[in-house]
Amino acid sequence: MKRVMYLMSAMLGLAVSISSCSKDPLKNMTDEESRIYVTNRADSVDFTSYKTFSIADSVAVISNSGKDERALTDYDKKLIADVSAAMVAKGYTLVGKSAKPDLAVNLTRIDNTYSAIYYDPGYWSGIGGYYDPFYWGYPGYGYYWPSYYQVYQRERAVSIDLIDLKNPKNNELVAIWNAMLRGSGVWDIANVDSMVTAVFAQSAYLTTSK
Amino acid sequence: MKSLKNGILLMIACMGMQTAFAQMRSPLSVNVDYSIAQPLGSLKDYTDKTSFRGWTAGLQYHLNDRLSVGLRSGYQEFFQKLPRAVYHIDGGEISAVQTRTLQVVPILATVQYQLAKPDAAVIPYVGLAAGAASMEYNKFYGEFSDKYDKWQFMASPEIGINIPFGKGSPLLFNANVQYSYSPYKMQEITSYNVIQANVGLRLHIN
Repeated sequence: MKRVMYLMSAMLGLAVSISSCSKDPLKNMTDEESRIYVTNRADSVDFTSYKTFSIADSVAVISNSGKDERALTDYDKKLIADVSAAMVAKGYTLVGKSAKPDLAVNLTRIDNTYSAIYYDPGYWSGIGGYYDPFYWGYPGYGYYWPSYYQVYQRERAVSIDLIDLKNPKNNELVAIWNAMLRGSGVWDIANVDSMVTAVFAQSAYLTTSK
Repeated sequence: MKSLKNGILLMIACMGMQTAFAQMRSPLSVNVDYSIAQPLGSLKDYTDKTSFRGWTAGLQYHLNDRLSVGLRSGYQEFFQKLPRAVYHIDGGEISAVQTRTLQVVPILATVQYQLAKPDAAVIPYVGLAAGAASMEYNKFYGEFSDKYDKWQFMASPEIGINIPFGKGSPLLFNANVQYSYSPYKMQEITSYNVIQANVGLRLHIN
C-alpha cells in the first residue's frame, strides 16, 4: 500500500510539473497583439442627428498617483489631430467650442499602472476638474456616464469620449460613445494612427449620413 | 475530488480481494502515455486545432486475467490564436487578437476488459472511464483574459492494445484511442467532444 501511495504522489507530482509547462499565451505576444480597442455606444442615439463637433485642446492625464493634469505632448497633439481627422472623415464638421458644437470630444490618458484600483465610470467624475462641463459652456453641469460604459482596467489606457452637448439631461452632459484603447504600447506615438483608425472603422454607425 | 476518493477506496477494496489467479504479471500496473487530441463538435467552434500538448496516466488493478479497475488522470491543452478581428459585444465592439485556451484535467474511474489472455503477443482491450474533469476556459482578448473554471462530469470509452516486451514481461507498450464526452457548456462550447490518441508504456509493479 505504501508503494501505491508513493506511486500516486509521484504521478501527482508529474501531473503538476507537466501542466505547469502549459503554453503561456502572454509570452510571445507582440505589443500589437496585446492591444484591444473597445468601443461602446448608446443604443438609443441616432448618430446622424449630430453635425458638428469640437475637440478638447489638450489631453487629460489621470493616474492613481494623484498627479492628474492636462498635457499636450507630441503624442497628445497627434491624438487630437488623428481623432479630429477621423471625425471629419465620418462627415462631422469641426467647429470652435464657442460655436455651439453638437458634440464634444474628450481625450483622456489613464495611468493605473501602479495599483490594483479599478477605474470605473464612477471615478470619471474626477475628470470634471480637467474637462469641467464649464469648458464646454455648461457651468454647473456634471457628466452622465450611462450603464453601457462598462470600463474597467488597471493599466495604461486611452479613452476617447463623445459627449452630447445638444441634449443635456438633468444638468448632466450625456456621453454617447466611448473608445477605450488598452494593452501594451497605447501611449506610444507610433501606434496612434492604427489605433484611431481601428476604433472609427469598427463604429460604422458613427456617421452623419444615413 | 469525490471521484478520486471513491477510486482510491475502490482500489483498496480490490487489494483486499486479491485472490489466487494464475497471473503472469503482478495485478497492479501503472501507465503513462503521451496524448494527441482532436476537438469535435462545438468545441471546434472554440478551438479547432489538434492538441499536441497532453498526457495521460493511470493505475489499473487486475481482478483477474480479463478484468481490471483503476483510476486515470491526465492533462490536455487546446490552444488557438486568431488574427485581429472585430467582435460584437453588448452595446459595442472589441477589436482584438483572440487567444483561446482550454485546459482539461480529468480524474476518472476506469474499467478495462482484455480481449486476449495475458500470454498473448498483443493484448487488445476495451475500457470505459467516468468521473469528473476540471475545465479551465481562458479566452484572451489581447492580453486581457476572460477565464472560467469549472468541474464537469466526463465519460470516456476506450479501445487499445498492450504489447508485452517479451513473454511475461511486466513492461508493455500501450496504445489506445479514447473518445471523451462531457456535457460542458461555456460560451460557444455546448458540449465537450474529443477524440484522443495515446501511446506510452504500462508497467506491472506490485
